[in-house]
Order: sequence, then structure tokens, then C-alpha cells
Amino acid sequence: MCSLLMWLTTFAQSQRRVAGTVRAKDGSAVIASVKLKGTNQGTSTNDQGAYTLNDVPANAVLVFTSVGYKSVEIPVEGKATIDVSLEPGDQTLDEVMVVAYGTAKKGTYTGSAAVVNPSDFKNTPSTTVENGLNGRVAGLQVTNSSGQAGAMPSIRIRGIGSMNASNEPLYVIDGVPVVSGDGGQMSDYIYTANNVMSTLNPEDIESITVLKDAAASALYGSRAANGVIIINTKKGKIGKPVINLKSAIGLTPSWATDNYKPAGVQEQVNMLYEVYHDYRTANGDDEFTANANALDMLNSRFNQHGYYFETNGTGLYENVMIKGMTDGIENREGKYYDWDKALFRTGIYQTNDLSVSGGTENTNYYSSLSYTKDQSRIKINDYDRISGRINLAQKINKHVELISNVSLSHNDQTGFNDTRNTSTNFFLQSRNLLWPLYWPTDYKTGELWTSRYGSYAYNPEYYNNEWENSSKTLRVSANETLNVQILPELSVKSVFSFDNSEIKDHLYYSANHFEASTTNGSVSEMSTAIKKIISSTTINYNKTFGLHDLSLLAGFEAEKNQTDFQRATGTDLASSAIHTVATAGTLSANAYNWGYNMMSVLSRAEYSYGQKYNLSASYRRDGSSRLGPDTRWGDFWSVGGGWQINRETFMQNLNYISNLRLRASYGVNGTLPIDNYGWRTLTIYNNKYQQKPGGTVSTIGDPNLTWETSYTTNLALEFGLFNQRLTGTVEYFNRDSKNLLQNVPISAVTGFTDPNGNNTTLMNVGEINNHGIEVELGYDIIRSDDWKWNVSLNASFIKSKVTKLYKNSTEVNAKDIVWNDPTGGDARAQFVYREGGSTLSFYGYEWAGVNPENGKTVYYVNDPVHPEQGDFEYKGKPATYDYTKANYTILGSALPTVYGGLNTNVSYKSITLGLNFIYKIGGYLYDGAYKDVADDGYYWERIRSQDYYDNMWTPSNTNGSLPRLEGVDLTDAIQFSSRQMHSATFLRLKNINLAYQLPSNLVNKAGLSKASVYFNGTNLLTFSKYKNADPEVNQYGTRGWETPIGKIYTFGVELSF
Amino acid sequence: MKTINKIYAVVLLLLFSSCKDFLDVQPTDSGDSSTSLKTPEDAQVLMNGLMREMTSSNYYGRNFVMYGDAKGGDLTILQQGRGLDPLYNFNHTVTTNNYSGFWSTIYTCILQTNSLIENIEALENAGSTEDFSAYKGQALTARALMYYDLVRLYGKSYNDDKTSFGVPNVTTVLQSTAQPLRATVEENYNQIVNDLTAAADLLPKSKSDGFINYYANLAIQARVYLSMEEYDKALAAADEIIKSNVYTLYSNENWVDSWKAQYGSESIFELGVFPNEADLGTASLGFYLRRKGHGSTAAAGWFMASDYYLDRLGQDPEDVRWGVMSYDETSKTRLGSCYKYNGSVNLEGDKEGSSTAVNIKVIRLSEVYLIAAEAALNTDKALATEYLNAIRKRSPNLAPATTANITLDMILDEKSKELFGEGQRFFDLIRLNKSITFNDDFGGIPTTYRKKTIDRAFYKTILPISQDEINANPAIGAQQNPDY
Repeated sequence: MCSLLMWLTTFAQSQRRVAGTVRAKDGSAVIASVKLKGTNQGTSTNDQGAYTLNDVPANAVLVFTSVGYKSVEIPVEGKATIDVSLEPGDQTLDEVMVVAYGTAKKGTYTGSAAVVNPSDFKNTPSTTVENGLNGRVAGLQVTNSSGQAGAMPSIRIRGIGSMNASNEPLYVIDGVPVVSGDGGQMSDYIYTANNVMSTLNPEDIESITVLKDAAASALYGSRAANGVIIINTKKGKIGKPVINLKSAIGLTPSWATDNYKPAGVQEQVNMLYEVYHDYRTANGDDEFTANANALDMLNSRFNQHGYYFETNGTGLYENVMIKGMTDGIENREGKYYDWDKALFRTGIYQTNDLSVSGGTENTNYYSSLSYTKDQSRIKINDYDRISGRINLAQKINKHVELISNVSLSHNDQTGFNDTRNTSTNFFLQSRNLLWPLYWPTDYKTGELWTSRYGSYAYNPEYYNNEWENSSKTLRVSANETLNVQILPELSVKSVFSFDNSEIKDHLYYSANHFEASTTNGSVSEMSTAIKKIISSTTINYNKTFGLHDLSLLAGFEAEKNQTDFQRATGTDLASSAIHTVATAGTLSANAYNWGYNMMSVLSRAEYSYGQKYNLSASYRRDGSSRLGPDTRWGDFWSVGGGWQINRETFMQNLNYISNLRLRASYGVNGTLPIDNYGWRTLTIYNNKYQQKPGGTVSTIGDPNLTWETSYTTNLALEFGLFNQRLTGTVEYFNRDSKNLLQNVPISAVTGFTDPNGNNTTLMNVGEINNHGIEVELGYDIIRSDDWKWNVSLNASFIKSKVTKLYKNSTEVNAKDIVWNDPTGGDARAQFVYREGGSTLSFYGYEWAGVNPENGKTVYYVNDPVHPEQGDFEYKGKPATYDYTKANYTILGSALPTVYGGLNTNVSYKSITLGLNFIYKIGGYLYDGAYKDVADDGYYWERIRSQDYYDNMWTPSNTNGSLPRLEGVDLTDAIQFSSRQMHSATFLRLKNINLAYQLPSNLVNKAGLSKASVYFNGTNLLTFSKYKNADPEVNQYGTRGWETPIGKIYTFGVELSF
Repeated sequence: MKTINKIYAVVLLLLFSSCKDFLDVQPTDSGDSSTSLKTPEDAQVLMNGLMREMTSSNYYGRNFVMYGDAKGGDLTILQQGRGLDPLYNFNHTVTTNNYSGFWSTIYTCILQTNSLIENIEALENAGSTEDFSAYKGQALTARALMYYDLVRLYGKSYNDDKTSFGVPNVTTVLQSTAQPLRATVEENYNQIVNDLTAAADLLPKSKSDGFINYYANLAIQARVYLSMEEYDKALAAADEIIKSNVYTLYSNENWVDSWKAQYGSESIFELGVFPNEADLGTASLGFYLRRKGHGSTAAAGWFMASDYYLDRLGQDPEDVRWGVMSYDETSKTRLGSCYKYNGSVNLEGDKEGSSTAVNIKVIRLSEVYLIAAEAALNTDKALATEYLNAIRKRSPNLAPATTANITLDMILDEKSKELFGEGQRFFDLIRLNKSITFNDDFGGIPTTYRKKTIDRAFYKTILPISQDEINANPAIGAQQNPDY
């Protein structure tokens, strides 16, 4: 009766039409929803911002809402036209973000998820999206250790999730997990790999969500323990077609830091003279003989390059005069070859993007075409990508929608070794092998120098033309989604995804090249096709009963992964002009495939009361072919809750609090072994003998191999003060990971090896704990019409420890697990897992420094049984000169105390300036490359760094921090020891971005709707405790001979039609 | 809506049609080990795998052979840093230059033999009617050879201290978690002798290119018994091979060319190295011994003959064995580079297509003659002289040995000349407790880690157990070789 009365009353009011436009402060049209307050009646504005509402009661109140703007309520009061100007604000709470199997509002979501706005980094000159995340999200660590074109950074979410190499997060694009990581087989030959994720064009990305806790990610079950990165690609918006054109060019004229700057030619010659001199006197010769011999040695090495040497005296520290030989066509006296100039160039990065998007009520589309070319500072290291995408959504009728996202991308990468390889790593050669006394030509004849230099480098100017390599990836992915709205509250979503990357590797060596000199030229063509097929069907039920919101989800998923490999190699090539297998005299081939499958069921329930209280729970069951039949199935689940405190009545008076929210979650995730067949004992048939097949037992399976499981607790407090002017989140998490999978060193006596030929086997070995606090703070310093300035800071304080190592029944104490950094395959650093120790504990001899009395290197003995034992006492501890008498000990951890980012944006009218800093405080880095350029003994004819020259002990520099140079082959420098460990603290201006949006009246005259120009600078400033090389090291906290990253200056223009 | 129904039906079909065995995935280059040996043909395939594994660069493919010559004083280096020089300067530590590849590769080979033997015995016990005896015999003999090699690398000589540590004696397929400890040298030799004896009767007497036959077993017995100073047994084994006439010595005329062919008349056990198989290319044994830059800029001239060896061979300028020597980088007249494993000084190889895919001659008849001579020396000088002279005649200008002047050193010198580059010298000198002098003055090599002259009292004449092994198998750390 009452409602009837109300209805009648409403009806009694005069009905009228209301129209108007909704604009933002800057006058641009806003697509907003316009509703009558308290009803579902309403409409949305068109792309001009215009709306029309009929039958509006005169006493109605209109509510205008749009994502990213503060909602506005305006009483109609008889007006026929209501124009509205919306103010930006309150984005955080109503922001809709993409989460596992759907979307959620940030204000009601119970999990820990961070959204990264692609516009924050869209001008960054990078071929990969991961680089843009650097310093943007608390708990997310992006490490970028190589500056090669096409190189991919590594990502860690909240510490070390696993001992297994599969520490990388799961990537989900448009709702389905995708292939990530290295593809292709080039890493078997040279250490440059082709990363599949680099096929994704960053410009196509609409949103990125990083899922951090179990409540957010448990729905991805067995692959989510290391976090999930969800990427959705762009969709068209209703309105007329928008054409967007973007073009940028980036230049890299120099490295970001000094990188083991070599000493000058005079210092190099003097040092080599010292080496030869010392090795004679150490063997009992007098100074005179030693001098004669050292000069002989120098002459025998460098006469052939056009130089000879003289000294005035015969002492150890003589200045050696470098003279030019006069018997050739060229006298090189006073002239030295500049290898840096020969090997490096100004890197050029170019990108051009074109996209067209638009839509109607029933159809929307986004299509793009992009071309990117990246030529790194290293000569002959090029990457290019051409990619296209069509995202099309079509409503077939009121119930059914079909979405088709199809992308095609091709990239082509050419490169050189990026690890410790004396033949083809240009960076290593320039710092350690190529003397300025070497020339690419013979001083006597002027002909190209083809034999190996004394330092073991090959003349790159000759050999570059004698080989070629390329790695081409063609990725086709089709992602078909069918949405069926069966009832208003019940819908079914079915996704079928086909993702196929075909990587073609080409490797050619001419008969003149040292690699193929015994086979008269060789060429290999390799094809690796990585196929991933996923079928996923979910049913969604959403219902609102008064203040109660209920949402249920259930689904089924199956996934098939197969990699097909083929290789054809030809040797004895017919002609140096034709580089094909077809022309080869001798052929060999290989082809086989491998893969894994998975089947899952999943479900989730979410409940919300009055937007104040939120609860969620999820459950997933995964079965995987990577585990044996008995352990194959695993269960993963989570529960979570949120409490919007500021919506409670007792908070109503605290006006300065605009947001206060508490959320908590607990759940279980898993990780699968990266080996496909770890549970099987296999005989491999790849050992031909006398042209007959051969088989060998290689790996031993562990049928009890089981899931790694992570138990995560998450507790967060979100707050916003003064109308969201100051916002922040403080989050605590604790993750216990059990049954960790690790390739464990096994006794070589067993004879078993892993697929890489190492004596290791995959086992569930122990438990680790990660816990920490993440802080995110944002403050709008200036919020005026013309001026805007905000600052945001994020910091992650994460501890990661090995809590338990499993032992068998006969063992009293759990055994340490010693392992090497797998990067580059050069065993550059050694770590240990020990109960109670950090998960990244450097393990080696403790270097005590240099004894100022004699310049000898001193080690602390650290005898675990007899701690008092030592050859002598040094700085109060038992010490020795001989590292073989010292013991390995935990030297320090690579994990920083705190890391994160500092971002600030200033804008004045249409000029914006953004700065993105990244920082790391505490922890150590281990430099596995510096040892090569600071060797205090004789190994071969190598050059040394200026830093070593300046700091080595000499009788006149007894405070030198580095040991005295000796003439014997010392192995000290190459030991795992704290000598190569340095502070990892640094602050870097990762990005600076200055953009100017041209005035719209000017732009409109030119027929454009928007135009902007920008400048972006990458890695321009670095403040670091470690000066010898770039402090931005890899995910293990180590550095090897990877190409350094450079300073990039980018200029770009963006136009919209 | 109809179309949609169809699409939906297809999707559902894809979902559920292939569920059976969906989670059972196998690689296509490997098979389940439990079913890999059922027939003698299977055994042959696994035997092929084993022989191939033995040609690894860590074993007979290069390093094991280099070890015997570089450490035996017959080779020297001109410059440090070219590669493998710790084999020459003995710069071994537990963590560095420990050549743990010997340990891991040989044990991987032993795993293959253990797996073969266990599987064959299981089939035999199950009443299989197939004849696996030849494969079992080969596996047992190969295992004996591998233990003999290992115990000489890591343990003291049998006649030095046989109660000291040898190597872990593993004769079954272990679990991956096993942490075996070292047996004594004597226990190792007992196992070796047992395996060889058990295998002999199982093996065919016919020639078997690339594999082990009865005579290869006897030849290994002869070597082993010599190490154990059981001269009668060594002589008996060697005698039987010689008298069988299955193998014949190369004549002086065809000695040089014998290196250009596979499976010559002297080859008792020869490992096949074929292009695209075990061809180590620029890392091959032949490559390591050829002259710097010869045939390839990658040839670094790693090792060359020492002055002592050249003097020894120079006792007769017409010695046929000069035919595999060519000049080295130091002068056109110093014939220090050895071309046995390049086929010829012109890099002809021993088969079509490659100068580096050259077979490794593990045991030749010449060695058996010299073993026989040594074994007979104390009991039958006439016989010893006869056997020695059969080889010594390759130096046509040297007077044959007589029962009056024959000495052990003459036999050893002959062995050095004949088996140069074949990995024997060091083991002979250590076994006989002779001193070894290195030609360090040739390259001006500093001798920080060893003296110019050493003998087996020097601790680095045996290798350390590597840190990698100790990390995985801590208890073996307490059994480290002395002074490491």
C-alpha cells in the first residue's frame, strides 16, 4: 500500500525530459552513467558526452558516475538542461580491475592486487612490458641485467617463492595463461635466447594487474605460487573510430655506468711486464735476467702487432717504453687501436604504432599494427618486431557475446654471446681481451689479421663477417571467448585459446670461421614450435538481495602443452656465398617433442554486505602430467575478508578519513617442477655410436615427487585522508613454502645426471619462509586547476629464509644444499641453502683483504670444528694466505633490506614531467666478471681494469685494497669468496618523461583530435656504492659478462584522429 | 542461437573427448628405463650408448689420454693459459682444476654397465632363453677397465699402499640419494679382477670393431696384473693374445699409415669416433696435439713433445715413429707436434670427411708385447728380449736388445716411443715408482705447484675428490686424498 502510494506520488509529479553534456575539467567529453537516484532508471552519455533522459520526475536527483571521476549528484528542480563538469578523484575505490577469472572493484576486493596503469610507462623505450613495471609496485622486483636488444628482465613477486628455477610469475593474457620464458634452441649454441613474452606489443596493453596473495591468485592453483601478472589487451570504446599514431626514436650513445673501465695502454704494458718480471725473480733469477726475459716476452707477443719495448732500468716497476716497429708498411708508434669504437655504436630504438578502435552498442573493435626496431650498443645485435592484433567483440543477441582476440607477431633477433665467452662476447673482449696493441690488420702487410690473438680473442672485424645467427619467432595466438547470459544472474563463459610460437633459429659459420674450420663450414636450421591449447569454461552466478551481494563461480579447465623440435645441420658447404643446409655435403638432423598436460576444476564464492563487509573463498584442484600417478592431483584454496571501516556509522564524523579498510586472507598455492618428466626414470636414445643407435640411462625418477605448496597469510590496511589526497597501503604477508622442489647435487658416484649433464636430481628438499611488509604511499602535493604534483613511494621490506631442509632417517643434521647461479652457465656465484639462512646466501671463502705489509691476499680460516685454527692472526681472527686452508662460510645475502620505487609527476596545464626512481638498500651483489679484470696473477695475455691498477698493492701503495700483482698462475681470484662481493645499494633515475600536449584549437585545425610530443630518458642517473659496474644486477644478485644497459634518450610524438 | 549451440557442442567435445591418458605424457627421444632392455638387440643399443659415453672429452675422447702424457713428462707446454695446463703444472685443488669430469663421467659409464648387468641378470633369473652372455661379458670388462682407470687417478698405486683409499666400489644401480664412500685400493683391484675373470668366458673371440671381445679382456687383465705385480698372470694373458694370431703387429712400412685407417691389425680395443657422433672437432684429442694454427685458427698448439721425448726418439733419426710427428710453432725443425689422432701430418683423418673424428686406440698389440716383455723380464729374459725387439725394430738403426743388456728402462723407453700420445707414460712411471722430469725450461713455465722432478711421493700425483662431490656426499670429505 505504501509503495503504491509512493508510486502514485511519483506519478503525480510532472514528467519531463532532461538533456545535457558531461565534460571533464579540461572540456573533453566524458562517457558517464546518468541515473535517477534510488532507481535503476538511467542512461549513459555518448562519445560527445551528451545524454538525454525522458520521464524524469521534477524532484528527481541525477547521479553522474564515471570511472576515474568523482560522482556528482544534481537535483533536477525543473531544469531541462543539466551540464556537468566532473572532477577527477576517488579512483582507487571504485576502480574496476581485472582479477583471476573476472573483474573486481578495488574497494571490495579481498585479495592483494596491484594495478599498473600502462600510461605510467608507455613512453619507455622497451620491447617488453616488464620493464615498465620497475619501481611501480610494492613487492615486485624487476631485474634487468642485460642490455642486449630483445633481452628480457626477470620478475620476482614478494621474494623467493621457490628454490626451483621456476620463480617467474604466471602470465595471464586476456584470461588465459600464456607461454613465457625462453624459447628456441639458440641457448645451446650461444647464450642469447629469444624470449616469447617479447612478442607482446606494450602498446596493445589496456591494463596490468599483479596478483600477490593467495586470495587473489589461488584460483590459478599450481602455477600461482610466484604470483600472477594479468594483462588485458585493449578494447574498442563506443563511438566513432579513433585512430592513434605513435612514433618514437631512442638513442643510446653510452652505457648507464662505467663498466670495468680498462687501464690505459701504458699501464697495461707495465702490468704485463711486472708479471713476467716477477715470475722470473720468483723462480730465483736475478733482476737483470728477469728484465731481459720480461722484455723478450713482451716482444715475442707484440712484435707481430708492430710494437717493441725498452726499459731504462731493470727493476720490477720500470716504465716500459712502447716503440713502433719500422719494418712494416705502417709504423704504429704512439697509435693504438680503439676497440670500443670498433665493437660498439650508438644504439637506436625505433617504434611506430598505429591503432584503430571504435564500437557500437553491439560491436567493438581494436586493431593495431606496430613495428619496433632495437639496435643495441653492441654491433650486430639487432631486434625487430612487427605485430598486429585484432580484438573484436560482437553481441550476437541479448544473451550471447563472442569475443575474438587474435594477434600475430614476428620478431627477429640477432646477437652475440652474453656470457663468459672469449670468442664472441664483445663486452668481455673489450674489457678483458682486446689490447689496444692488437690491430685488425697486420702492420707488415696491411692484410686482415685472422689468427687468434695472444689473449685468446679473435679479430672481430674479420670474424663478424664469417658467421651469422638469427632467431625468429612467429607467434600466432587466437583467444575466443563466448559469453552466454542464461539468466540475468547466471552466465557461462567459455574460453578457447590457441597459442603457437614457432621459433626458427639459424646459425651459420663459414669455413674460415674457427667454429667450423674442421668441418669446412656449417649451417644449422632449428625450428621449435611451442603450442599451448587451453579450454576453460566457467559458470558465474551473481545475485543481489537487498544489501547482500553474492557471486559464485565454478569451472573446468584443460591445458595441453607441446613443443616440437627439429634441427637440420649441414657441414662441408658448397659455397661461402650460400648459407643453406641444401648446399651441404654432410647432413645431420634431429627431431622430437616434449610437453605436459594439465586438468583442473575451480570454484569461488564471494559475498558482500552493504559494501562494508566482504568475504571470499576459492578452491581449485589441479592434475598434472609432470607428477607421478600417485601424487598427480593437488588441492589449492583460499579464504579472504575485507572490512570498509570508514563506512561504519561510528566513523561518519571523521570527515578527513576518506578511506579506511582492513583486509586479510589465507590460502594455499602450488608450484610444479619445471622438469616435464622428473618422476620417470628414462633411457635416452641420443647417443649414436658407429652410425648405430645408442641408449643411455640418464635420469632417475622420483615417483614420490610432489607439489611444492605455499601457505600465504596477508593482512593489509588501506587508508585515504583529506579527500584521498594522501593515500596509502601497509601490507604484511607471510608465506611458508613446503616440499620445495630443487635440483639437488647428488653424488656423482651414482652416475645419474640431469638433462643438462650435471650430477643433480629433482627432489622435494625443504621449506622456506618469506615474510615482509610492503608500504605504498601517495600524496597529491598540489591539486590546482593548472598545477598538479603528486608523489608516490613504495617500499618492500622482505625477508626470505630457508626454514627447514628435509633429511632422511639416518641423518642427524640436515645437509646444506650448495648451488650455483644458473645464469649464463658460468657458475659465477655459489650459494648455500642452510636451515635458518637467507635463500640467497653467498657461500665461499671469507676474504680478509690485503696484508699491507706484503700485498698478499688474506683469508679467514673459519674452521667450523677448530675455530682457533689458522696460520696467523689477522685483525683478531685466525687467517691464512692460502685459500685451500680456509673453509667455505656464509658470506652474506643478496636480498636487500628494502627495495622499491619513488615516482613523481608534475603537470602544468598541458606539460607533464614524470620521474621514476628505483632503489635498493642493503644486501650484496656478487660480481662474477670483475675477477677476470682484476686478476693478481698470471693467467694469460689479458688486460686489467683501471680500478685494479689504481688499487693494487705496490711498495709505494701499501694501502692498496687489491693484492699485489704476481707472475704465477694464482687461482685465488677465481675462487668463490667475499673478494667479489660488494654492497648492492643503489638509487637510479630509471625514467624521466617530459610530455607536452599541443593546444586543442591548434590541433583541431590540423584535423587531429589530440597531439602530443614527449621526451623520455632512461637510466640517466645512477647513485651506487659499487662503482665498477652497473649495480642493477640479476635476480640472484650477481653479475657476469652480460651486455650492460645504456642511457637511452627517446623522442616521440603521438597523434589521434 | 543454433550456430552458438554448435560452437558450444564443439567446445564441450574438445574438453571431454581426450581425457583418457591426458595426464600421461612421455618425451619422444627417451623411453622408460624399466622396459628398455628386453632382447639382445636392446642390449646392443645400450652397449652402443656405453661406448659412445666412453668417447666423452672427459674420458678416452681426450682428457684421460692427455692426462697420461702431459703428466708423464713426454709432453710440455710453451705458454700457460692455452688450456688443460693444470694437467702439466699440477695446479689441482679441491675447488679448482680438479678434473672432476673424470670422476663423474667414468661413474656415469659405470652406471651404464651396472644397469646392463642388473637387467641381464634379472632376465636370466626370470628364465629368458635369449643369449645375453656377450653383452654381460662386455659390460663386466668395461666396468673393470673403468675401475682400473679410476683407481689409478684417485688412489695410490697397488704396490705403494693398497690399504689406502681407492674409489667407491659400486656394482649395482644406486638410488639417486646414495652417498657411497671409498673402498680401499685392494678392494677395487679385487673387484676388477673378479669382473675380468667372470667376463672372459662370456666373450666372443672374434674381432669386434669398436667393442670389447675376449682379447680386449685379456689385454686389460695383462695391464691390471702388471699393476698388481702378478707378472705370471700378466705374461699369461699377454702371451695368449700374441699367440692367438688374431692380431698382428704393423710392419715398419705400414706403421705410419696405420694411423690413417680404423681398426688396424693391432687394434685390440678401439673406440669409434665418427663425424656427427662423438667428433669433438676443435676440442678433440688430435686438435690438442697438433701444431698451433694448423688447419684452423682455433688450433692453439696446446701440447707438444718435450725435449726428453724428442731426444729419446732421436736415438734413431730413421725411427718409423717420426712419421706421425711434425714441426711445432717454435721452429721448422723441432718435430714436437703429434699427429696420431689427425690420421697423418697432412690431417687426413682415419675415415672420410673429418680430420678430427679419429678413432681412439685404447689397446694395441704393441702394448701387449711390451707388457709381456716387462712381465717376463725377471723370469725369462730371452722371452722378454724377443718381445721387446719385436717393437724395438721400429728404430732400424738401433741394435736389438740382448738378454745381456735388456733392462726395465729399455722396455719403458720403448713404450714411451711407441705409445706416445696414447696416455700410458705417467701411469707406468708412477706404477714403477720412477721419477718424472718436466721440460719446464722449454716454455719458461713457473713451477709453483710442483717441482721440476717428481715421483709418486708427491701428493698431486693423484687427484683430489672434488668439492662438488663433497657438497653432495659430505662423508667422503673425510676421505680426501692426503694434503689436499
